[in-house]
Amino acid sequence: MISLSSVTKLYNEGRPNGVRAVDNVSLDIGADAVTVLKGPSGSGKTTLLSLIGCMARPSAGRVMIDGRMVSGLPESFLTEERRSTFGFVFQRFNLIRGLTVLENVMLPAAPLGPDPQALAEAARDRIAALGLADKADTPVEHLSGGETQRAAIARALINDAPVLIADEPTANLDTDLTHRFLDIVADLRAEGRTVIMTSHDPRIWQSDLVNAVIEMQDGRVTGAFA
Amino acid sequence: MTRWWRRQRALADFTLAALARRRVKNIGLVAIYALVVFVVASAMFFSTALKREAGLVLADAPELIVQELRMGRHEMIGADAIGALAGIRGVTRVTGRLWGYFYDSVNGANYTMMVPDDPALAPGPGEAVIGEGIPRARGLAWDTAPLFLSRHSGDLQKFEVTGRLPTGSALVSSDLILLDEADFRAFFDLPEGIYTDIAVSIRNSREIDTIVTKAERLMPSARFVTRDDISRTYEKIFSWREGVMVALAGAALLAFAIFAAEKASGLSAEEAREIGILKAIGWNSSDVIAMKLWEGGLVSAGAFLLGTVTAYLHVFLFSAALFAPMLKGWAVIYPDFALAPQIDALQLTTLFLLTTLPYIAATLVPIWRAASADPDQIMR
Repeated sequence: MISLSSVTKLYNEGRPNGVRAVDNVSLDIGADAVTVLKGPSGSGKTTLLSLIGCMARPSAGRVMIDGRMVSGLPESFLTEERRSTFGFVFQRFNLIRGLTVLENVMLPAAPLGPDPQALAEAARDRIAALGLADKADTPVEHLSGGETQRAAIARALINDAPVLIADEPTANLDTDLTHRFLDIVADLRAEGRTVIMTSHDPRIWQSDLVNAVIEMQDGRVTGAFA
Repeated sequence: MTRWWRRQRALADFTLAALARRRVKNIGLVAIYALVVFVVASAMFFSTALKREAGLVLADAPELIVQELRMGRHEMIGADAIGALAGIRGVTRVTGRLWGYFYDSVNGANYTMMVPDDPALAPGPGEAVIGEGIPRARGLAWDTAPLFLSRHSGDLQKFEVTGRLPTGSALVSSDLILLDEADFRAFFDLPEGIYTDIAVSIRNSREIDTIVTKAERLMPSARFVTRDDISRTYEKIFSWREGVMVALAGAALLAFAIFAAEKASGLSAEEAREIGILKAIGWNSSDVIAMKLWEGGLVSAGAFLLGTVTAYLHVFLFSAALFAPMLKGWAVIYPDFALAPQIDALQLTTLFLLTTLPYIAATLVPIWRAASADPDQIMR
């Protein structure tokens, strides 16, 4: 369970170009559910996702994960929280060019010093489960849009994180690939994982898979639908 | 393999891949860095080799040299001084030395001509033993080709070359011509009973100051040069030249460190994004810093190796052709000489610390600043 209480995020605070990206947001996100943050560009969805995923710290308010307050934690603890709790799929997937799919997928676990063979095996299993077995040794810049997305999902899941965070995961995908993504989300939910994503794609937030939709406008939550 | 080692291996693997991804930029960086190392290493190797050569020469030199002065200039000294100096308690041997310089108008080279103190080295009448630079400067067709030298009076004197001096200490032997005493006197038209200077050997080197004081009383117009004086002069000359070179190289190193800091603080958008991604997917600040340290270590080790090996070849194979005029000073006058290759662990360690620490220090702070920010802030 993730809980936000009166969370505000200011960028460039006190300067003329200061922005209130998230403004006094309070919400609860249930475990083992699929939650979608929707709203127009600039509404604060991505910033809220960063705050939930411990990638940014709130300027005010509290973020709690499973009853633990994480918003005031120092950087090293936040990293640990990110590593153990969240897997991220970024809007542009943010795979590292020049590395193969396998190397990208192994990357989150690399600094933990695991047995390289066991890690490679686990990564290949993840890649195969997402239908990319034949692309494991291909540099990521040679993948199609859908393949890149699946590689990014495999990377997000390599540390067996219970929560998947995805920022506009279908923004650049066609209808067929969007449905395939939703199939993956269904599998993740079936595995008992929590999925939180942003989207202004109606194919996503109108899907039966989605348990909750949170609507945002100008950094504020303007509606929440179960 | 322990977890720590596995972590380091994983970080090193990623670093190598990252370096390969930006290979053009990194090759340029290593090339500039290696050039700086090359300059510092060349100055250091060359100066140390010269000091070593000088040390070898001095090891066999007499403890004290006595030279007559007139109007502050070195003058020939009479044989009567030998007896006077031999009478001082503690002096074991006094020898008159014959040596001088010969300007060879054929090729503009200066040779040192000398009658050896050691009879085993002395050539016979009409013969000469020469340093390895003489045949090269003269363009002699073969090693034992006769040596024709034009005497002060203008006539040519022929010497049969019967031997070559060992190259172990090329600094003094390269331009040296050893002659029989009678030939030397005849060549320079020097009468019997006078010498260039006098070499004095002493039983106990700790008594040298006392002996010099006594000798000064006997020969008030003479100059007394101890082995330590010569050693200190060599040390000062070569250290000064090395100092100038290292100062210049130091300026280059400082400029490079500023450049490195600038590069690290102004991380490219791609590098910053990469750090943000790594942090977002679970790398902590120390992982990123360790990875960047690997990167700095690989870059500086590569540049260090490249610069050091190139400097070694430059100094010991190509006689420091680029910096020789500054470092050798007077020795650039013909004939040329090659230095005996020798470097030690202390030199390499000093060089390594001098060249790699500024780079790593310059890059570490900006990297730490980038690595300790929130991923959202870095990627934004």
